[in-house]
Amino acid sequence: MNTIKQLTDLHNSGKSYIIYKSNKGFDLYTNFSKKIILNKKNIYHFLNKKKNIKKSKNTDLFIGFFGYELLNNLIGVKIPRQKNINLPKGIFYKPEKKISLTKNLSYRNEIDIKQKKIFKININRKFYSKIFKKFKKKIKEGETYQIKICTKYKTKSEINSLDFFCRLSKINLAPESFMIKDKNYSIISCSPENLIDKKGSLISTKPIAGTVKKNKNMKKNKALNYFRKNLKETKEHNMIVDMERNDLSRICKAGTVKLLKTKVVEEYKDLFHYVSLIKGKLKKNIKNIDIIKAMMPGGSVIGCPKISTLNLLNKQEKENRNIYTGSFGYIKFNGDMRFNIIIRSILNFKGISEISAASGVVADSNAEHEFNENYIKVKALIDLFK
Amino acid sequence: MIYIIDHNDSFTHNVVHQFSLFDKVECDNYNNIDKTKLKKASIIVFSPGPGKPKDYPITSNVYNKFKSKKKMIGICLGFQQILFCEGAKIIEQRKTFHGFQSNIKVISDKSLFKKGKTFKVGRYHSLKLKEPFKVKNFDITMRCLESKVAMSFENNKDKIYGFQFHPESFLTVNGNLLIKKILSA
Repeated sequence: MNTIKQLTDLHNSGKSYIIYKSNKGFDLYTNFSKKIILNKKNIYHFLNKKKNIKKSKNTDLFIGFFGYELLNNLIGVKIPRQKNINLPKGIFYKPEKKISLTKNLSYRNEIDIKQKKIFKININRKFYSKIFKKFKKKIKEGETYQIKICTKYKTKSEINSLDFFCRLSKINLAPESFMIKDKNYSIISCSPENLIDKKGSLISTKPIAGTVKKNKNMKKNKALNYFRKNLKETKEHNMIVDMERNDLSRICKAGTVKLLKTKVVEEYKDLFHYVSLIKGKLKKNIKNIDIIKAMMPGGSVIGCPKISTLNLLNKQEKENRNIYTGSFGYIKFNGDMRFNIIIRSILNFKGISEISAASGVVADSNAEHEFNENYIKVKALIDLFK
Repeated sequence: MIYIIDHNDSFTHNVVHQFSLFDKVECDNYNNIDKTKLKKASIIVFSPGPGKPKDYPITSNVYNKFKSKKKMIGICLGFQQILFCEGAKIIEQRKTFHGFQSNIKVISDKSLFKKGKTFKVGRYHSLKLKEPFKVKNFDITMRCLESKVAMSFENNKDKIYGFQFHPESFLTVNGNLLIKKILSA
């Protein structure tokens, strides 16, 4: 069977579906029999629900996302009034059909609309510097050790989500990439960052902290040198590693939380990332809701320490983060889970596409550099609109 | 039992994890301190945390109440908290050490550790102890080799110990040994 043709037909039929990166290629989930819109009340019921497994099928799972606000609510952090487009706080689907796809996705866009898209940024360079200064002071005073300011790029547009996703995965086959196409919204993401990988009682997380732009002179081994010599990137990374060790330690048996990979370089289309891998063995009686509350929202996109930094961030940010720095993934009926951190993503909702990026303020970071780093992070996505 | 008071930090559970290697550990948020557990505990630990000692008056009360009755250990903010209760001033330092690995040295012969010994440790602090600091039975026992900032104190009479650095960080080499020695003192 030609799965690529199947995919095209499915897309053109207007049915909802989800694609998620698998080890070898992609998995496609569709024929949704349930769609659960989450809010801060029903999420407990959703996560605590006992599922009957008689025969296990490969569709015995819920797949979807938790938005940023919902994850704050879960750990008791309030979000003040913000500009809000009223996207649901979280949505999960129960698929009845799963198809494996190769990593070479293709889609021919029949109608080629040439449109020039101009993105508007919600925080300009000058304002960014101002916020930056304010948080540097907070760092000096010890209120936060690191904080990630989010900037948003927006444009009015309808997009062909499958076309975008195919082109994106051709240039950037990120390990946590996914797309959701539903009737009233779509998400296209090339997230590189896995937050939770849980199989049985084993759990791991793979934080990313540190980014450098790729060019002719910056090869992989040079990138490693760059990160090692760059004190700012190193310190930022160290902090996140200790923070993720902490979050795992909440739910893992004493002595089982271990660093498997410490500060290695991963290569992407436009940039290199500085990455670590941490593993642990879950304590008995730990439920999935405990895991989600301990790990989300992922520390590397917030800053440290989590609670005080979230409060500072939420006071500062005037627009809802929506999906950005939330988590996408699945919960199997047997309890296994896989979740990423939603970054490097386009959210298309109500005729508007938005892309967010965040980079860290630490004691010795520089506003100009961080502002530009945000742009490097979204560039590959903005280029899709050309 | 070791009772750890959490100051809303993202490193507290690393401390819990580390101390659990040696004894049963209970941990509560500083807003939620359990009096029964406090009484039952043989050792009280003050966790790291954001902000400054002034922000945590309840922790100060706990310290003053149990001083010289139970062994107490402070880490980072906890270190500053104890010294603050002893009348010290905690001030901003020029350079901020967040996620920093430093070499520190044992500088006192009153220490449980051998004078002259060096350690590689992880640091997360923008504030420091203002010196000179002189209080009876409290000795500054370790300093940063480079900046000379106070990195630990020991009060071996009342069994009160504090580390400005983070023994539980992955940046600290042999952190478990450090804790083991303090626990068995």
